[in-house]
Order: sequence, then C-alpha cells, then structure tokens
Amino acid sequence: MSEPREAPYSRAIPTPTGGPLVTAFGVAMLFAGIVTNIAASVIGAIAFAIGGVWWFREVFPREQLEAIEPTGGQSEVLPPPLPDREAPSKRLVLPVEIHPYRAGVLGGLAGGAAMAAVAAAWGIVKHGSLWLPINLLAGAVNPSMAALGEPELAAFDGGWLAIACLIHLVLSIGTGLLFTVALPMMPRRPMLFGVVVAPVILTALSWSTMGIVNPALEEFISWPWFVASQVAFGAVCGFMVNRFEMVPTMRGTSLAARLRVERSDGGGEPS
Amino acid sequence: MSTLTTRPAEVGAAVGGEPLATRLHRWAVTVDHKRLGIMYVLSGLVFFLVGGIEASIMRAQLARPANDLVSPEVFNQLFTMHGTTMVFLVGMPILLGMGNYLVPLMIGARDMAFPRLNAFGFWLFLFGGLLLYFSYIGAQGLYGTAVAPDVGWFAYAPLTDRTFSRGNSTDYWILGIMVSGFGSIATGLNLVVTILSMRCRGMTLMRMPLLAWMMLIVGLLVLAALGPLTAAQVMLLFDRNLGAHFFDPQEGGSAVLWQHFFWFFGHPEVYILVLPAFGFVSEIIPTFSRKVIFGYPLMVAATVAIGFISLSVWAHHMFAVGMGPALNAFFSAMTFMIAVPTGIKIFNWIGTMWGGRIRFASPMLFATGFVAMFVIGGLTGIMLAMVPFDWQVSDSYFVVGHFHYVLFGGTVFAIFGALHYWYPKAVGRMLDETVAKWSFWLLFAGFNLTFFPMHISGMLGMPRRIYTFQPDRGLELWNVLSSSGVVLQAAGVILIVWNLLRSARKGAVAGNDPWDAWTLEWATTSPPPEHNFDVAPTVGSRRPLWDLKHPEDPDGRYE
Amino acid sequence: MAATSDSLAAAAPHAEEWRPARGRTGMACLIGMECFFFGTFIVAFLFYVGKDTTGPTGKTCLSIGPVVVWSICLISSSFTVVAAVKALAKARKAAFEFWLGLTLLLGGAFIYGTVMEWRGLMLEHELFISTNLFGSTYYSLVGFHAFHVVLGLTVLGLLWTLSKFGHLGPEDTERVELVSWYWHFVDVVWIFVFTSVYLIGTGILS
Repeated sequence: MSEPREAPYSRAIPTPTGGPLVTAFGVAMLFAGIVTNIAASVIGAIAFAIGGVWWFREVFPREQLEAIEPTGGQSEVLPPPLPDREAPSKRLVLPVEIHPYRAGVLGGLAGGAAMAAVAAAWGIVKHGSLWLPINLLAGAVNPSMAALGEPELAAFDGGWLAIACLIHLVLSIGTGLLFTVALPMMPRRPMLFGVVVAPVILTALSWSTMGIVNPALEEFISWPWFVASQVAFGAVCGFMVNRFEMVPTMRGTSLAARLRVERSDGGGEPS
Repeated sequence: MSTLTTRPAEVGAAVGGEPLATRLHRWAVTVDHKRLGIMYVLSGLVFFLVGGIEASIMRAQLARPANDLVSPEVFNQLFTMHGTTMVFLVGMPILLGMGNYLVPLMIGARDMAFPRLNAFGFWLFLFGGLLLYFSYIGAQGLYGTAVAPDVGWFAYAPLTDRTFSRGNSTDYWILGIMVSGFGSIATGLNLVVTILSMRCRGMTLMRMPLLAWMMLIVGLLVLAALGPLTAAQVMLLFDRNLGAHFFDPQEGGSAVLWQHFFWFFGHPEVYILVLPAFGFVSEIIPTFSRKVIFGYPLMVAATVAIGFISLSVWAHHMFAVGMGPALNAFFSAMTFMIAVPTGIKIFNWIGTMWGGRIRFASPMLFATGFVAMFVIGGLTGIMLAMVPFDWQVSDSYFVVGHFHYVLFGGTVFAIFGALHYWYPKAVGRMLDETVAKWSFWLLFAGFNLTFFPMHISGMLGMPRRIYTFQPDRGLELWNVLSSSGVVLQAAGVILIVWNLLRSARKGAVAGNDPWDAWTLEWATTSPPPEHNFDVAPTVGSRRPLWDLKHPEDPDGRYE
Repeated sequence: MAATSDSLAAAAPHAEEWRPARGRTGMACLIGMECFFFGTFIVAFLFYVGKDTTGPTGKTCLSIGPVVVWSICLISSSFTVVAAVKALAKARKAAFEFWLGLTLLLGGAFIYGTVMEWRGLMLEHELFISTNLFGSTYYSLVGFHAFHVVLGLTVLGLLWTLSKFGHLGPEDTERVELVSWYWHFVDVVWIFVFTSVYLIGTGILS
C-alpha cells in the first residue's frame, strides 16, 4: 500500500501494453498444439516467452504508469457535512419504538394462563374432565392418540401433563414475543389487535392445519370455545404488553450504542 | 516516483478521426477495465448469437416428429456446442465483463487491481473460445471428417473415453474450455482483490453497492470451482492422450468420479451465472422504484450464505446415479436449504418495489421479468430437489425447461436489463425506449412460449438430448409450441442488437446520470474518462449520489 | 482544487481506512485456488488407493526412505527463503543471495529426488501413467506438484539473477515476500501429497 493517493497518482493508470495479449496467445497456441501440430506449440512457446518478458518489463523495476489530465464535467463525490442539529426528516423509519421483549414474555405467560383457564372450563363444563384438554394438547406429539376413546383421554397422565405444559409454555411465550413486534403496527388500538385481529389470524391458522398437526384435538374441538380461548389470550397478552413503556429501536445508531456499551450521541430517532 | 508523466485523456472526438488500424491497436493493447469490459460483453454477445442459432436449428429439427432436418450426429454436436457456448462463452464472459466494467466505477477505483492480468484474462477467454470453435474446421471425427465436440456440455465418462469418442473433438472441448477457464480464474481473482483492496475512502464493505458484494462472492466461487474443473479436465486429457485410467471403468476407474468432479464445479457455476444477475437486479430495482434496497444487510448475508451452500449441493444433479439414501438425503436437504437465502432475495426485491414510485423503463421491465421468471425456475428447482420426483423427470425436458427458466429467464433477462441500464454510461447515448420495450415483450412472450411447454413434454416423458421423437405420443403440440416461440425470441434479440448498434450513433445524449441513480458510476461522465474520476471520491453512505443531491437529509443517519 | 482539499479535510473521519494490500490479497487468492486444484488430485488419488486391477502399486514399489530425505530438503527450504526475505528487508545483499541460493539448492535437490524416483519406477518397476490406476494418479499428483516446484524455482532463480545484477533492493521486499508465500504453499501441499502417497498409498497409514 505504498501508492500515494494524491493527484496526480489518483489519476494514474497503467500504460497500454500488448504483453498480456501476446502471452495469452502463446498459452492458447501451446495447448492448441496438442490437437493440431507440434509446430503450433512451438509458436505458442515463443509467443509466451516474448509476451512474458514484455509484460515483466512493464512492471519491473517499477510499474509503468501515466497520469491523465482532469477532464472535468463530473460531480465531486464527498460525504455531506453532518448537520449541526437534527433537521426534520421527510422519511419515516418504522418501527421507531417497540415494546421490550420481556413484555412479550410476561404477556405471553399471563395470556397463556387465561387461555388455560378457558380451556379447563371447557373440559369441565362440556366433558366433566380437567385432564381432557391437557391430553388433547399433548396429542400434537402423539398422532396415535386420535385412535383413543374419550374415557382414556379424560384420565390423568403425568407424562402427557408435562408435555402439554411444555407445548403450552413455548407457544404462549412465542406468541407473546410476536405481540411485542406486531402491536406497534396498530399503535392507536392495541386492544383491537389483541381481541380481534390476532385471534382471527390464529384461529384461521389452527383451523386449516389442525388435521395435520393434531388430529386428536380436531376430533373433539369445539370451535366457539377455541375462539373464546384465543380471545382470552389476546386480550390479556395485549393488555399486559401494552402496559410496558416502549423503547426506541435506535435504528441509525451504532451497534455499540444499541448494546448500551456507549451512550447514544443523540442519533436516535426524533420522537 | 517523480517520473510520472501526464497526458490528456483520450476522449471520443480525438479518437474518432484516427485510421481504423490505430483504433484497433488501441483496443488490442488496452489494459483499461472499461474497454476490456466492453470487449467481454461484445464477444459474449457474438457467441450468444452463435449459440442462439445452434438452439434455433435444434428447435427446427424438433418442430415436428420424425424430422430429418439434421442427422443425429449433427444434433449431438449442436446441443453440446450450444450448452458449452452459453455457459462458458456467453454467461461467464458477459457477467465477468460487466463486473469488470462496473465494479471499479462503483467502488470509486481508477482501475482493477491488476489491469494487465485483466487484459490477459480477456484474451485467454477469447482465444479459448476460438479454439473450441476451430473444432468445426480442425477436429477429426470418426470418419476423418471435421466435427465439433458431441459429448454433451458435461461430457460424462465413459462417453468421453477414446473407445467411444474417436478422433480429437473431445480434446478440443477440453482444451478450449481449459484455456478460457484460465482466463475466468484470472478475472475472478482480479475481481476479489479489486473489491477488497481498491475501495475508495469511506467505502466500507457494508457501504458497497450490492452488485460489488455479489461480484465478490462470484469471484471467490470462480476460484473454488474452476480449479477442480481444470484438474478434472487434465485427468480426462491424460486418459485420452496418455492412456491414463482415471475415468476408465475397464481398469477400475470410476465414471461416477467424473460426475462428482464436474458437478463440484458445475453447481457453483450455476451460482456464478446467477449471482451477478441478482446484483444487476439489486441495482436496477431500487433506482426505478425510487427507494433504497429493502434489507441491505440481509441481502449481503443471503449472498454469503448462497456462496457457502452452493459448494455442497452438487450431487443433486446425480440423484439418478444411485448414490444411496444417505447421500441423496443430504444433497436434497442442502438444496432445499439454498432456497432459503434465494427466497430472501426475492422478498427483498418485492419489498423494495412495495410502495415505491415505480417507473417501468426498459431496465425495470427486464428486472421485473427476471424476478417473475426466476421464481418459476426456482420453484421447479425445489421440485427437482425432491429425490423421488427427480427420479421421474431426470434427464427429461422438464429439466431443460427448469434450467432455462433459471439461466435464460433469470440470467439473460438480467443481462439485458443491465445492458439497457448501463448502456448510457458506457456509450454516452440512450437506447431507443420504444424499441427496447418491443424487444422485451417479444423476448418475454417468446421465452415463455418456448420453455413453458417443455415442462409438460418432459412430464409426458420426452427425454432431453433426443434428436427426434415418434408421432402419436402426445408430444407434437408441445414441441411445435416450443419451436414457434423461437421466432419471437429471435425477433426480440435482433431488435436488441439493432437498438444497441443504432443508438451508439443516433441515441439521445445521456448525460452523467440519466436515471437519477445513486451509485458512484453515475457521478462521472458518460462514457467515463480513462482514469474514471478526476477527484477520487469519498463516500459517507451506501448512496453517495443521494447524499450529493440531498445534503439536507443524508443517508448515513439511517444506515 | 483548493476547495476540494478543504472539504477532504472536513471529511476527516473517513480519511484513511485500512485496505488489504492488493499483492498479498492476490497471492492469497491464487493459493486458495491452487488448494482446490490440488485437492481434486488428492481426492482422486485417495479414492483409487487399492482399486487397481493390476500391479505394481504403491505398496509394492514405493520406498519411503529417500523421499523422507528429499522432503526434509524441501521443507527446510521454507526456512531459508524466510531468512532471504529478512536479509533483503535489511538491505543485506550478500546474505540475501546466500539464503536464496541455498533455497534454490534445496529445491533443486528435491526435484533431483523426484527425477530419480520416477527413473526407478519406470526402469525397475515398469510403472507408467498408462499402467494402472496407481500409475495414473501417482504420476499426475506428484508430477503436478513437481511442476509447481519447478515454477517456484524458476521465479526464485530469476530473483537471484536480478539481485546479482543489482536490480533488487529492500524496496522490493514485498514482491519477494509474495514469491516466498507461494514457495511456502508448495511446501505445505507437499505435506499433504506425502501423507496421501507415501503414508496412505503405501499402507503405512491405513
């Protein structure tokens, strides 16, 4: 990196040379001789040698360069000076603020509890068993459960309980995290999102895939109750998430500032 | 270092009055990346016309059943030369050549890192291509007549063995490709070093135009893929000329090893051919949607991911060989996986267009055509990644349809889009927009008419590389449709060539920045002077020309 | 132009950033490409070990003794070339030529060893590239390595001659260092070739 960058070196280009052309011709002829005549290879070798020496003398002892006079008519590209204070921007960068992720975790847990309550109510009211909805949820990992009858499904089973709790926790927290990202899309009406939009989307998704994901549940499911449980989740989770203060996404600031390693220099978004 | 001489720039007017010999000499001894790039593209276009004529003859032969326009032997030569030409003498040189032209301008450099090596690479490509085509005159075939290579573009062993391929046409294939391969290696190396070492001030890696990123990965893939191809070709050359036994099953050699070696080159090659196209589209779509590219960091990450994964998908070309369930499952899974970063790119282009103020000028037409056609090619690619499905349609016209949607609907459409986009920069004059739109729609209609029916004829069982087919098998309609599309495509290509030639003299003067774009090449004059920039640029964001035009609202604050 | 340099100064935060030197990057790329090239030949060799239909094979006709000696010559030449580059950087011309000359001798000794081995294989064991799979893979792998050694020796010899005629100075250190990188690469590849051909191919490692 010894080349200076100032003019005229910034406008220096190599002098034209036929060395590479002759060398390449030599290489091609050298190989062409294999399929034609040895004479072609001899010519190729000679051309290769001539071209090689020619090329070598272009770069040794010093690279042959020539500078070109400025031609004008160009835009000079330099970075704009940073504005002293923030000018109002016409550009919208979304999302400017989001809910913190822990809001999603807590909201998901609370919503999950509400949902579990509705599901338990359905089990007890409709089928007289607290364990039925739990076992049905666990059916997601055990498709053969669809073959079991209602008495077996209504009985307590520790293993199924553990699996169902795990599935429920993962799905609840995951959905809660989705809420933190999705809620700012409808900033004015968070509860509309929680109570209407999200349950509709989730119910539609479940309705179309239930036969594949969980055939056991599909057999028993009561869609009005299912929708009720989704609404319960959405309402509680949306309410919880919305209670948290929003934090700026800090787009346009450095990684160090986003990680709070160094203080942001006010480059965050105007709010 | 004070011996630097200064001379005035060669501008168009001064050169115009010189005799032809002087002008040709200028082009022969040039080491200027712009002239070399133009020579790459021009010679690639000439080979494109040649390869297109070969394809047209094949389609004419297949237009009706039991046709005898060409003999089976000639048909074998036609598809071999068509495939070899389009991959090695059209795709690679045009894409590498456009990289050659654009990358130094885009990153604010005065030339490539090794200008003389650059010239060397171009001439090697050209001489290699000429050597391959010399086989039509010089190669000895079975009966002592001149024949072109006829072993298919991937030259499977043991068909390439001396026993089955008499004469030396296969040697012409080996040597022609090998010599032009050396040139590709030189250019690939040059691109990588240029992008890493020659960026102007402020041009950090994450501020580079996406085309430069794609070209960086392409350069690395060229280095990784062309070495094994050269090695495998050397082995084949030894087999044929020194009596070695690498791919000779009679002496314990393995024909399947050739397939592994070839496709270890061959699949990265597909990404070498399509990544620059991604780059062109990633430059064109933002300019004509008046928006920044959506998800720049993700685009970069997807490019790098494609670069890595593309090195481990090669054996999906070999499902029908019988590699066993473990290998089949691995390569099938890897192939599914590479669809993810590719899909990310598609969504990012759509995200860029979404809500933009789209101008459907000719480059944008080609770019959107690219996105649509490439999606179809990508989806049939995912179908083919499923081993059982691949077993059904392997080596059928379904596969031919699939890869033409990727390489023609994808790469060639993007190349034409790029030609229409950067032609004003390279020539200084605008292309005729009306002619450009006609050529796009002719090409688009003809392309779909030719290649979509191939999916159906393939599903109906028509094998690829077959020189004719029997009547009453239900294949007539699909083949005559395919063949009739050729007429439209030919008309489109002729219009494009006519437009390129005519506009060089009669087009409207372009000015520095006809599209109101944002990357560095539009800051200099059209065509750029030999040294590219009077003052070496310094950039502060991914869109330096946006910053220049809107100093009150620069980009840097949003990146 | 004055305005230009002023605004350049205003853009000081961007003024100079590190860029890898183009010579080094280029040589690294070349070496990377060559790794894939040799890798293909090594894969072919290992794939065909023990698949010959007729003899002689590596088990019956390769003797590891002399090869170890010549290999030590080649590997040690990597150290002498480093000494040469260091001498050139300090403008010690005589030391540079001495170490470079020693490198040439050691590399030449390795080539002599290869020639003698091939002579023995051809005359005593009648092994040619067309004899069997071992012949095909062995001659092409070892041959391409030897070809690269000869290329390296040619360039090193050229440097030695240039230095003798006084055309090489400390300002050329980077160029000479790049040649030494290539030489190191040739040595490292030999370690892999040696392992494949003389340890795995002869059955010492299996």
